[in-house]
Amino acid sequence: MTPQHLLLLIVALPFLGSFAAAFLPTRARTQATLLAGLIAVVGAVGIGSLYPAVSQGQILLSVTPWLPSLDLNLTFRLSGVSWLFAMLVLVMGALVILYARYYMSDEDPVPRFFSFLLAFMGSMLGVVLSGNLIQIAFFWEVTSLFSFLLIGYWHHNQSARDGARMALMVTGAGGICLMLGFILLGQMAGGFSLDTVLASKDAIHSSPYYPLALALILIGCFTKSAQFPFHFWLPHAMAAPTPVSAYLHSATMVKAGVFILILLWPVLSGTDLWYFAVAPIGAITLLIGAWVAIFQQDLKGLLAYSTISHLGLIVLLLGLGSPLAAVAAIFHTVNHATFKASLFMAAGIIDHETGTRDIRKLGGLWNYMPITATLAMVAAAAMAGVPLLNGFLSKEMFLAEVLEDHSGTLIDAVLPWLATIASAFAVLYSIRFIHQVFFVAPPEPLPRTPHEPPPWMRRPIEILVLACLLIGIFPAATIGPFLASAVRDTLGDQAPAYSLAVWHGFNRPLFLSLTALAGGLILYILFGGRLNAAKASPVVGRLKARRTFEAVVERGIAIAGWLHALAGTRRLQPQLRVLMIFALAAAALPFLFLGYSVGSERWTGVDPVFALLWLIGGSCALAAAWTAKFHRLAALILVGAAGLATCISFVWLSAPDLALTQLLVEIVTTVLLLLGLRWLPKRQPDIWPETRMPVQVLARRGGDLAIAIIAGLGMALISYAVMTRPVTDSIADFFTRNAYAEGGGTNIVNVILVDFRAFDTLGEITVLAIVAITVFSLLRRFRPASDSIETPEQQRVQADFDRRHADREVGDTVTDALMVPRLIMQWMFPVIITFALYLLLRGHDLPGGGFAAGIAMSIGILLQYMAMGTREVEDRLMVLPINWIGIGMLAAALTGAGAWLFGYPLLTTFFRYLDVPLIGEVPAASALLFDLGVFAVVVGSTVLVLIALAHQSIRTPRAARPAEPKAGEEQG
Amino acid sequence: MTQAPDLPLWAAILTAFFLLAGSLITAIGSFGLVRLKNFYERVHAPTLGTTLGAGGVLIASMICFSVLKGRPVVHEVLIALFLTITTPVTLMLLGRAALYRDRTEQQPDIPRDFD
Repeated sequence: MTPQHLLLLIVALPFLGSFAAAFLPTRARTQATLLAGLIAVVGAVGIGSLYPAVSQGQILLSVTPWLPSLDLNLTFRLSGVSWLFAMLVLVMGALVILYARYYMSDEDPVPRFFSFLLAFMGSMLGVVLSGNLIQIAFFWEVTSLFSFLLIGYWHHNQSARDGARMALMVTGAGGICLMLGFILLGQMAGGFSLDTVLASKDAIHSSPYYPLALALILIGCFTKSAQFPFHFWLPHAMAAPTPVSAYLHSATMVKAGVFILILLWPVLSGTDLWYFAVAPIGAITLLIGAWVAIFQQDLKGLLAYSTISHLGLIVLLLGLGSPLAAVAAIFHTVNHATFKASLFMAAGIIDHETGTRDIRKLGGLWNYMPITATLAMVAAAAMAGVPLLNGFLSKEMFLAEVLEDHSGTLIDAVLPWLATIASAFAVLYSIRFIHQVFFVAPPEPLPRTPHEPPPWMRRPIEILVLACLLIGIFPAATIGPFLASAVRDTLGDQAPAYSLAVWHGFNRPLFLSLTALAGGLILYILFGGRLNAAKASPVVGRLKARRTFEAVVERGIAIAGWLHALAGTRRLQPQLRVLMIFALAAAALPFLFLGYSVGSERWTGVDPVFALLWLIGGSCALAAAWTAKFHRLAALILVGAAGLATCISFVWLSAPDLALTQLLVEIVTTVLLLLGLRWLPKRQPDIWPETRMPVQVLARRGGDLAIAIIAGLGMALISYAVMTRPVTDSIADFFTRNAYAEGGGTNIVNVILVDFRAFDTLGEITVLAIVAITVFSLLRRFRPASDSIETPEQQRVQADFDRRHADREVGDTVTDALMVPRLIMQWMFPVIITFALYLLLRGHDLPGGGFAAGIAMSIGILLQYMAMGTREVEDRLMVLPINWIGIGMLAAALTGAGAWLFGYPLLTTFFRYLDVPLIGEVPAASALLFDLGVFAVVVGSTVLVLIALAHQSIRTPRAARPAEPKAGEEQG
Repeated sequence: MTQAPDLPLWAAILTAFFLLAGSLITAIGSFGLVRLKNFYERVHAPTLGTTLGAGGVLIASMICFSVLKGRPVVHEVLIALFLTITTPVTLMLLGRAALYRDRTEQQPDIPRDFD
């Protein structure tokens, strides 16, 4: 397998696994874990096997052409940085999956959880491995989506739903900004592929759009990485199951923003704008996060704010713009993932074992779970930046960087102070976490007596803590090479010399570090006891980011409601009017700007018969419009007559295929409309019995008439102009020439439908299916207008008559009256089916085809419903329209996809002659199978609508219904 | 393939005769629909078209295409068959509906009830 294929496979596997996991039984916890774990491990091994190439500075590309002309291809790109992040995603994923196996309760639908988690893993891999900006933005949004689903996993929980919604809105909105920024960036660089963008630093910096693009990209990154002022969603996302918090909200997804900043660091950084936009935000987030974390009473809340603070630290480092700071940022990203994920997992174990996450209620756990306590202590020490742990190393690099002068402004002077204070805060909350949870005696007995978790639940933490120690003690031997390849990839020839040693001698960073450690300890000794009484964090707690967010959302909803009230209507006539006016305006523009001229073709004269036909058709159409309001049945008949005139015109103009289809469509339309007539509200012959018609009504009707006349006239003018122009080389010639040569059929219309334009047809039958299902769903809950609920008069009279006679049962009159017609209609059923099949089979060469055949078939079924009545038909005939639709869609899609198997593009027709015994040579085209799909969809859709209408007649609506008990049901 | 203008004279005459006869009969039926007075009379007139009229046109079609293609073309028989079977259903349904309505509304001059 080539590395290119491997790369594609590594991204695709989690999605395939996600799909598979979704189909596992609800209780299949272990199987789902195995599936997910296997995929993560395989992915990690795969990515690992590519390291030798990456370590030599190679960039692996896997390009699948999609729209090469727009520079949009499915590109995956593995370089030093993306290797590091992909490894992080996969290894963390594997550990979290193992942990989740023991964390998730047996009562939860665990396969669903793993399905979401795998899909998230896939999209996260997509973000880090994409070699194309647009593709990154796409996967970016997908991670937001699966983060939403995972936060809302316990959807019965209000806070989970709220947290999920908030996270989606914030990160989703950020994703849109990111997308816009990327589009601008691609425009500046002259292409969307990452290599193009990374190579055009000068073009980007000199572009006038650079500030805008930078702002948009930064908003995207800051929302995802929970930077101030967008940080508020992250604490609320803690309603998610703890494995999700460990994986998405500390180790990977929140690092996506950081990843983009690192990835684009070479082209975006290095300007004042970058420095002043990124560094202060990072610094503020660093400080605020640490400050708020001190006052948290919820274990996960503390870790969430600590995560925000550490993300701020990384962003600050990237903002500084110096190569060494970028190295520190990459290094700290990895370190933070290891210690923070293990802390989250420890918090999950504590929650699991004691039943609470409230720091005030916890205490003395050292006695019950010494191993977990030890692990948590090491991880917390890494978080605080204690020497010999990985957190210390990157924090040391950070402190060294803030001591440097970067801009010569006030920021340079403030940063060392700020960094030391934030570090002291980090020490303070780390100590508080450990001391309160494991050592102080609990104020009241714990909800549950805790004990050590199952050993395998602890295993992931052990591995991560071991990593903290190893990196902390032997940095150069463990993380060194991987960091080096990532740094070389990001910084290129700017890559600085840096040292990963534990001991750099007594220097200023060490002094700051020790000050922070001592300061944190002293602060805890002084104030630690009082922190338990804190309800909210002082100063920053007043910002109320959440309430602001809610207010903004509510205002948005209010504005939408206002707009809807202003411009929306539930009445059909105004909607139609607006639609027509817009169409008119759009069509009138070319008239106004380009003028109107008749073509050069001569006037051919009028064939009197044809003119007569159109006179009749036109009169029928006019009469239909005239009677539509007060005599609907007559209007319907007249519409049918107008349709017939159209149909004859097609025959006249040598288009038998169209004529056939038109005829069949006319029949079905008329019957379905007839069935619907009964449910329309009764007409009101005279609304203004005494007074004259109000002026505004006159004006409205006059306006509508004017719109209709202008639209019709416009169409006529356009048609006339087109038809008087000479026929030039059009695509029609291509079709006539190639229909048989390439499509294997002599019926050009059908060949166009199933071959040349088969993709359109696929889309059309999809629309048809959607429409049918929509109609069905709407009619299923249809409540007739109050005046048409009553049984029709004729039915009542007949039922009365039947009741009065002892030897008759209700319904006998109808049965008697329809006896002969019914018999004949039943006889016709097989004939019509045969006819439909005949149309289907000959469709490729003669008028017919799947669409016409499908309508013919549904006419057969329609006839049965009319002859026998709904109940009897459904007693005898098993029509499952949804299955027809489904099978039809599948047949069409699979036939189309079948072309791939033979190496042709989608929907290529295969054609040959088959020698069938007795019958002889028979043309056989794969298009017939496609047409069969069309046929099935048409039958299914038409019959589904028919059934929806037919079932109305056997429902017994209650005349006066009390107030609906469930208001929400009707909208649902 | 031979086209309609290439028909031999005898065939052309025959075809034209049947075609014209069929059309004329249909036209008479339509005329009757307009002229006759009440529903029960009118409902009979168009049946001229679906029986004799259609028959004439179908025979013309059979002659014309049999001669043109040089082999018997008789699938028009099927059309005649289905027309014959299905037209009465329309008549029956229309007649019953009208009768029913008139009886319910107790109109005068309706066909007698045979019960």
